[in-house]
Amino acid sequence: MLIEIENLSVTFTAQGRQVRAVEGVSLNVKAQESFGLVGESGSGKSTILRAICGLAPISGGSIRINGKPITHDRAFSRQVQMVFQDPYASLHPRHTLDRTLSEPLAIHGLPVTDAAITKALTDVGLPPNFRFRYPHQLSGGQRQRVAIARALMLQPEILLLDEPTSALDASVQAETLNLLSRLRAERGLTFLMVSHDLAVIDHMCDRILVMQHGKAVEELSREALATAQMTTTYARSLFAASADRMLEG
Amino acid sequence: MSLLTVKNLRVTFDTEAGRVEAVRGVSFDLGRERLGIVGESGSGKTMTGRSVLRLIRPPGKIEADEMTFDGIDLMRASETQMRALRGPRIAMVMQDPKYSLNPVMKVGAQLTEGLRQRDRLSKPEAYAKAIDALNAVQIRDPARVMEAYPHELSGGMGQRVMIAMMLIPNPDLLIADEPTSALDVTVQAEVLSILDNLVKTRGMGLIFISHDLRLVARFCDRVLVMYKGKVVEELAAKDLMQAKHPYTQGLLNCLPRIGGSRAPLPSLDRDASWAL
Repeated sequence: MLIEIENLSVTFTAQGRQVRAVEGVSLNVKAQESFGLVGESGSGKSTILRAICGLAPISGGSIRINGKPITHDRAFSRQVQMVFQDPYASLHPRHTLDRTLSEPLAIHGLPVTDAAITKALTDVGLPPNFRFRYPHQLSGGQRQRVAIARALMLQPEILLLDEPTSALDASVQAETLNLLSRLRAERGLTFLMVSHDLAVIDHMCDRILVMQHGKAVEELSREALATAQMTTTYARSLFAASADRMLEG
Repeated sequence: MSLLTVKNLRVTFDTEAGRVEAVRGVSFDLGRERLGIVGESGSGKTMTGRSVLRLIRPPGKIEADEMTFDGIDLMRASETQMRALRGPRIAMVMQDPKYSLNPVMKVGAQLTEGLRQRDRLSKPEAYAKAIDALNAVQIRDPARVMEAYPHELSGGMGQRVMIAMMLIPNPDLLIADEPTSALDVTVQAEVLSILDNLVKTRGMGLIFISHDLRLVARFCDRVLVMYKGKVVEELAAKDLMQAKHPYTQGLLNCLPRIGGSRAPLPSLDRDASWAL
């Protein structure tokens, strides 16, 4: 198993009150697998991704990658990278794409070459002459491509995707999902993806975990989802609410 | 008789970079029914909704051959007449409760403000009406919500508070601009059934603006599909899957489906002629 999460709990303390965002969730992701997390907002699905990256306080349980407990050092960021939901908020507004894409290389002491930046842009389907543009000169879909390019600069094995297409229009969503699928096939990436859209998760993932109120409700294979073989009421109601996203449409 | 008639609506912005035409000749009739307007961002759907209330600030300009609501000429109405229409007769629910509710006012104060100011109701009367409105949108603990600030509510609750606020004066026409796009599917279904119920029981007209084709198909009676400021196709919601225009078909095809194949999703090839 590439990613092993065991009994993970995340607790935030706000004004003396404890909020248990994630409670005892376990999941395993194999190398080169694509694993999906679904649930309503506040179900803790994004918090799991943030806990892996060290952006949320882990209060119990363990996260292991390749059998080793995670440490948040440079070696970790070369292995695991994250793409955030809102491409309008996740890129520095005053940095050109060139600077945004060079920064990971510079931090890790890797050579920053013209070729590397140009390749990063063309790999995500952006023209090389975008290199000195600012984020505000790009559309939402183009910005999300830059965010994906930045995450791939250090050639990680694992991409954590937090609602990567929910801020995008349908046609742009399709392009971005195709890009992610292509990159996964080409580079043998492992995806851990969060979405509230069951159709997107179904299109991208091999296995999914349904979450509610910080707890794992049910794990489903792709086949079980497509044939509606869920056993818990909550997973069923989520599925029913997404009925218009079925194949027959 | 139709409730709202719009003929050849145009919204233009004179900017330094030249004239930008956000809406280019949109016409439709609305009875007491649910009309959906769908399109991608920048297609002019929100501008169309706002034009009905004349809520477009300069340098934006609204022009139309005709825009009548219940016999009132909206193009010639004075600003005072428009103010009398906004709220009591035509209400609008905006997209995001985070930005549309006053963050430093309790929900209760915001709900009763209109009743106290406009209808000159006493405090207890206004309070009772606000509680009723919150009940109507299925908020379980209305007394607590009345005392809460917007940041203390979840997205779904905030959205329901906004719908409740718009429904207090019992409008004839509700314009809902992406009322559910900030919500989860399960909450979305609840909010839609509340709206649906209100259209049925109060005989209200509804303009439902959304980028989600499948949602509109399920929820509305009739759909206008907009592309670059124009209506490219108008059809009954139940026929959406048999849409004729290549843009509508393209939008439907590029959506992933549960149980669909893993092949790359078809991309939308835009034809320059659609925008003509």
